[in-house]
Amino acid sequence: MTETVNLLAVFPDLEPASDAVEQLRLLGVTDDHMNVISGVPVTEPMLGRPHAWTNVPRIAFGGAILGMCGALFLIFIVPYLYPYPIQVGPQAYVPGPPSFILLFEITMLGMLLSTFLGVWLESFFPNYRPLQYLPEISDGKFVVYFSCPEASQDKFTKTMTALGAEKVTLAEARQL
Amino acid sequence: MAEKNKSKAEHAHDEHTAEHFRQKHLMLDPLPRGQMNDMVMEAMTGKPTWKFWLTVVILGSIVVYGLGYSWYRLIAEGLGIAGVNRPAYWGIFLVNTVFWIGISHAGTFISAILRVFKAEFRRPFTRIAELMTTFGLVQAGFSIFMHLGRAWLSYWLVPYPNERMLWPNFHSPLSWDLLAITTYLLSSTMYLFLPLIPDLAMARDKSTGWRKNFYRILAIGFRGTEGEWTHLRNAMNIFAYAIIPVMFSVHTIVSWDFAAATRPGWNSTIYGPYFIIGALHSGMGAAAVVLAVVRGTMKHMDYFIRGEHFDAIGKLMLIISMGWAYFYFNDYIVQWYGGDKWTKQLLHFHEAGPLGWMWLAMLIVNIAIPWAILWNQKWRSNPWLISIVGILINVGMWFERYLIVPVSLAINRMPFTWRLYIPAVEVYLSLGTLALFILFYVIASKLIPFIPVWEVQEGQLAHKLSKFGRETVVTVSELE
Repeated sequence: MTETVNLLAVFPDLEPASDAVEQLRLLGVTDDHMNVISGVPVTEPMLGRPHAWTNVPRIAFGGAILGMCGALFLIFIVPYLYPYPIQVGPQAYVPGPPSFILLFEITMLGMLLSTFLGVWLESFFPNYRPLQYLPEISDGKFVVYFSCPEASQDKFTKTMTALGAEKVTLAEARQL
Repeated sequence: MAEKNKSKAEHAHDEHTAEHFRQKHLMLDPLPRGQMNDMVMEAMTGKPTWKFWLTVVILGSIVVYGLGYSWYRLIAEGLGIAGVNRPAYWGIFLVNTVFWIGISHAGTFISAILRVFKAEFRRPFTRIAELMTTFGLVQAGFSIFMHLGRAWLSYWLVPYPNERMLWPNFHSPLSWDLLAITTYLLSSTMYLFLPLIPDLAMARDKSTGWRKNFYRILAIGFRGTEGEWTHLRNAMNIFAYAIIPVMFSVHTIVSWDFAAATRPGWNSTIYGPYFIIGALHSGMGAAAVVLAVVRGTMKHMDYFIRGEHFDAIGKLMLIISMGWAYFYFNDYIVQWYGGDKWTKQLLHFHEAGPLGWMWLAMLIVNIAIPWAILWNQKWRSNPWLISIVGILINVGMWFERYLIVPVSLAINRMPFTWRLYIPAVEVYLSLGTLALFILFYVIASKLIPFIPVWEVQEGQLAHKLSKFGRETVVTVSELE
């Protein structure tokens, strides 16, 4: 069984980082074994990376459905839970327009709360364990994080350096 | 030789043009990311001056007296010490509620609507505006609790059955208010937090001591991996689109508190959009004021907030002022034309009653002054001039709400009950909320990175100067 190591290659710019991604793929590193960490959002096509999957929209949709169910409960069930009927002017017992307001507000609340929650779930936030990271990322550096066979570490380091990496270090988990 | 000289002259001209653009546009004047981070951190973590502490002490004292002591008195002695009484049973508390909800609209407008339309000038000041939404809504919430009198029973509005199996009455616009304001407050706070995460991570990497721990907790372990950015970007897109109808719904529902009543002056079908345009009017004015103060008082902010930003806000303020004038006149003429005796009486009371000066001042500061000043690019690019206009608009919008709420309540269909509302303890409570709003900003300036550095850098990556024929123009690539 081949031992692997995790490396962090620090690039000053987006171009060499995307070149490094390409080169790593040629050297046999699969997309699952690399990641680009940056202080500014860059899209997958810019990096030549496959589309990153996210469930945030699905979680948001699920939250909207839950919110809608809550609203429907308040609209259709609650009026019948009163010990006596509450009649407001000529309005029906379950009035149309006010019900629409409830439906809208609570559905939106469900959707937005679950969108927020979705980011936490998908990104495993909050995460206070030590993680592979370099503070230079905040200062605009692009870090390519990848796994490679331990025996080829030197070869990978040289390749990354040749592509413009300012430094290539072992990825050690550190307290952020 | 002539060719060479011509090319040299062209080159010098291009350099001059590029320098001109750099000075004018933040997006064309990039600095290294590390330097921008340092500038934002220095503005936030720099040692507070005596002026800062003096401001905190003054504001804190007003909050303690206005919100603390006066509210205690209101609770201990009852609503009788406030000026509200028949027929003006809604006083300054409700004026302030509408006013603060209006202020809160600018945050979402600037951040969400301008994000959806990819208006690039928004980038450096979205956070300052988003903070306004959250801070403004807190004041609106306080104002409602004050109005309730027995504030500790406010949980009765929450939809759950009490001991007599009674639920809130969802037929009432007041229960819609609770839902809409709660939804908006929660949504806007989450929308404030999401784009803040990368900047909190930056602050974590740049700090030491207690700040390091503080930002480490708030940054929730963000590193900037591809997955994290993807989830964040998706969530921010969903928020940007979804929070817009929520924002519109809030002030529309607030307007229905009035419009759903069959009172002279209130029963108007145009109140929804009229309230929204009013909210944007005061909100944009307040945004201009906050931006000018932040730029003038915090270090390095003149790099991030420039004349171009005030110019853009000034244009929006001018357009919104025109929109407000249109809706006001629309509401006015229909009521005036209707010929209802009591409505006519009320309109006359607005214009020529004891508070007629307020009506006139409202029209001058909401329409005449913005139109007279904001048409001129040079004037609207001046931070202090535009902030004076912003303050005046807010005074005007507060007058407008005062005329709508207690002044309109003074005239009804029963002349024997007519009575002018005279505020009492409400004045101190109002000053307390205003001071708390400003105090929140003062404290936040030392804890929260006011500039979304990653958004600014993203914008700077997307902008460049291009030549079309002989002209140099700014071009933007769509990176998102």
